[in-house]
Amino acid sequence: MSLHILKPGLQTTIQDGGRPGKLRWGLARGGAADTVAMVLANLLLGNPASHPCLEVTLTGPEIAFTTDMSIAITGAHFELTLNGASVENDTVIRVQAGDRLRFGTLQSGARAYIALAAEFAIEPCMGSLSTHVIARFGGVAGRALEAGDQLPLRNCRIEKIRRLPGAYRLDYGNRPLLRAVAGQEAHHFLSRAQQQLYAGGFTVSPQSNRMGIRLDGPPLPGENLPQQVSSAVCPGTVQVPPNGLPIISFVEGQTIGGYPRIAHVISADVHRLGQLTAGTVLNLERIDAEGARKIQREKAHLLMKLPDLL
Amino acid sequence: MSLAGSFEVLPNGDAAFDIRFSAAPSAPLSETIIALAEAIETASPDTVTELVPAYQCLTVCFDPLRLTEAARLQDLLVSLTESALANRATRSGTRYLIRIPVCYEGKFAPDMQTLSAHSGLSPGEIIARHSRPQYLVHMLGFTPGFLYLGGLDTALQCPRKARPAFKVPAGSVGIGGSQTGIYPQATPGGWQLLGRTPLALFRPQTLSPFIARPLDRIQFVPISAHQFAKTDPLAAPEKTALASPGEGTP
Repeated sequence: MSLHILKPGLQTTIQDGGRPGKLRWGLARGGAADTVAMVLANLLLGNPASHPCLEVTLTGPEIAFTTDMSIAITGAHFELTLNGASVENDTVIRVQAGDRLRFGTLQSGARAYIALAAEFAIEPCMGSLSTHVIARFGGVAGRALEAGDQLPLRNCRIEKIRRLPGAYRLDYGNRPLLRAVAGQEAHHFLSRAQQQLYAGGFTVSPQSNRMGIRLDGPPLPGENLPQQVSSAVCPGTVQVPPNGLPIISFVEGQTIGGYPRIAHVISADVHRLGQLTAGTVLNLERIDAEGARKIQREKAHLLMKLPDLL
Repeated sequence: MSLAGSFEVLPNGDAAFDIRFSAAPSAPLSETIIALAEAIETASPDTVTELVPAYQCLTVCFDPLRLTEAARLQDLLVSLTESALANRATRSGTRYLIRIPVCYEGKFAPDMQTLSAHSGLSPGEIIARHSRPQYLVHMLGFTPGFLYLGGLDTALQCPRKARPAFKVPAGSVGIGGSQTGIYPQATPGGWQLLGRTPLALFRPQTLSPFIARPLDRIQFVPISAHQFAKTDPLAAPEKTALASPGEGTP
C-alpha cells in the first residue's frame, strides 16, 4: 500500500500540525502553512484534525494509488482530474488501485491539502511527520517529494461521501483582507508609515516562502527608528528591515529577530498567509487584541461544530 | 538597584506577552529570565504554549482559546516577575561546559584575513583569543539550535559583511559585531567566518536534538583539518558539569 509520486509539483511535502512548543530552541512550529484547509480536509475523512496530509504548493503533483481508499482535497483550487475525469475540491473522493490523480492549472490560492483515509507508514521526527523545509528534516528525508518517491501507507479506509457545507468553503478569489494588531514598536514609526502599511499599497513578493511573506511596494519611511535588541518573532509578526519593505514571519520563520515590529497579523488569520500568491495586493486592517481573540474563538468554534454537520 | 532593573509586561500580538527588562544584557539577567520561564511554566502550564527567552525579554505565548481574560495572565506575569526578581531566582538543574571542536584552518576560515586586517592580530592570536573564553549561552533561536553567545573578546569584534554570503556551510563559526556563534544549518549569513565545527548542533533524529541549553557555557577547541575529517557529526561533545549557579561567571 503506497502512494507513487509520478510528478512532484513545485513543492509537495508531508505536513501536519508541526512541532509546537519548541520556539525556545530556535525551532519554528512548521507544519501546514494553511492549518484551516488542512483541518477541513481531515475532518471530511473523519481523521484527527492535524493528521498528516500532503501540502501542494503552486504547481501540483501527479500521484498514482496502489490501493483502494478515500481522499479529500481542500485549500487552493486546481483543475483536478482522476484518470482524466474531473474531480472536486471539498468533498470525499473514492480512489481505486491504479488510479492517477493529476493537478492541473491553479485557479486560486497557493496551497492545496490532500488528506488520506490512511496513515503514512513513516517514522515521525521530534513528534511530527511534518517536513521542515528550511531546517531540512521530517517528512521524507527532510525534503519536498520527488518523482519516483513511494510513500508507504497503512490502515487505508473507504469513507462515505461527505461534502463541506457552503459556509466552510474557502474562497481565495478576492483581494485578501488580513487583520492585524499593532506591533510592540509600532509607536516608533511615523504615523504616515503606519497609514501606508494599512493603505493596501503592498504586493506579495515572489521571494515569499514558508519562512516569510515578503512585501513589495513603496518602502515605509524608517526615520528615527531605535536599534532593537533581538527578541522573539512569531508567525504573523510584521517586521520592517532597513530597506522599508515589510516581512511577515511565517510557519518556518526565524524565532528571534531584531527588526522593529510594526504589526502582527492576528492568530486567526495567520493560516491565510499560506494562500497568498506573488503579486497579490495585500490589505491589512487594524483591529484590537480583544477583537482578534474573539475572531479566533469564533473560527475555532466553527471548526469544532463541523464534524456534526458532515 | 536590582540586576534586572525595572520591567514591563506588554502585549506581543494577540496571543503573547513580552516581559521586557530595562537592564543591559548580562549573565545575571539571563539567569533571572530563565528562572522566570521555569516559574511561569509551573504556574500556568495549560494556557502557555511557548516561552522564548532573549537577552532582555521573555516572550510568553498563550492559547487564546484557553484564556478568557488576557488581563489576568498579564497580572500573573507581573507578580511572577516581581517575585523572581525579589528572590533572585535561579534556574534549576545542572549547567554544563560544552567543548566544541573547531577547525580554524584554510577553507574553513574564509574570512580570517579580513578579521586579521580589522583587528591587527595574527591568525594565531585570533584563534587563541577566540578559543579562550567560556561563552555564556544566553538563548537559542533564529534557526534550530543556533546559540546566542556572550563573552567575545572585544579585540575580535568586527562588523558584519556588507553583502551577506548566499550560503554559509552548516557548522560555520563566525563573528558578527560583538557576537560569535555557529550556523547550525546552511543558510545565508553575514558574519565573518573564522572556522567550522564538524559537530551537528541540531540533531533532530536523536533524543537530545539540541546540544546546549540557556546558561550552559561553550568553549571552542581548535582542531586540525585531519581531526575535522575524522569526527562523526553526531559524536557527543565533551561536557563537564559546572558547579553552582553563578560560579565561574566573569
